[in-house]
Amino acid sequence: MRIFNRIVMAIIFLALLALGVFMVLYSFNLFGFKLSNLLNNNVLGLQTIQNGLKNFVNNVQNANLMPLAIAIMVAVAVVGLILLILEFKPPRPKKVRMQQGTYITRDAVEDEVLSATNETPHILDSSARVKARRSPGASVNLQANVRRGEDVGAVRSDLRERIQQRLSQRGVPVSKLKVKLHETDPRQTQSRVR
Amino acid sequence: MTNDLELARIVSEEVLATEGVYSLSSGKFVEAATYGAGGTVRGVVVRPEEVEVHIVARYQPDRAIPELTNTLIERVAPKTEGRKVAVVVEDIEVGDSANL
Repeated sequence: MRIFNRIVMAIIFLALLALGVFMVLYSFNLFGFKLSNLLNNNVLGLQTIQNGLKNFVNNVQNANLMPLAIAIMVAVAVVGLILLILEFKPPRPKKVRMQQGTYITRDAVEDEVLSATNETPHILDSSARVKARRSPGASVNLQANVRRGEDVGAVRSDLRERIQQRLSQRGVPVSKLKVKLHETDPRQTQSRVR
Repeated sequence: MTNDLELARIVSEEVLATEGVYSLSSGKFVEAATYGAGGTVRGVVVRPEEVEVHIVARYQPDRAIPELTNTLIERVAPKTEGRKVAVVVEDIEVGDSANL
């Protein structure tokens, strides 16, 4: 949510900046912009907006809304509710909690996972994504490539075992380990032979 | 009562003297350090309620990281004037002797 909030705030501030610039231009009659022209020529379309709002409120009062308008209102309400829930949700921790007062960085866990993967026979290359959870333990999502025709099931189970063994030797708890193997052409991977 | 920088120095010396600690680490994106008039101590963040220690652990086959961090907390806690101690392992260094 922090990134989303930043993007929204950046857009709002940019809009305010643009409005501020126009305000200065109109206030000081610069470059032919005059404040009095705004209302006289209905440049802002205030009358149209007012009429549109009036019609909308009348339709709501008379329960005479178009299905599209109802759908849009429901969608806005649902999106608002989702954003509210996300705003109240505590942020995901950045470091993996091992036990009370002890943490390990996601990069360190990722290095260990990739080291274990590289030691596994038949794995041509791999990439790992580690997420921290609120409870102790890391959530690991590993993707690896093997040569076409390999026994994927056996390689996967070997890989899982090696990763779990390595992490448990280091004392890093893993709460979720997802291993996805892709059969691929070795010419498209980092290493062709294992 | 010692100031933050002095406290960070004391903690830093204690941490580096602990077996299994390869080095202190200042972190990757946001520098983990304590700043003061007399200098900077990297790898130790002194806060009013907590002291956070960022380390690079040395891999020891017979000793898992939680054991090392428990030892660290035991050693550092008496010197932090009642503050909680948190240990962040930034990396694990595998030495040549580890034979991996």
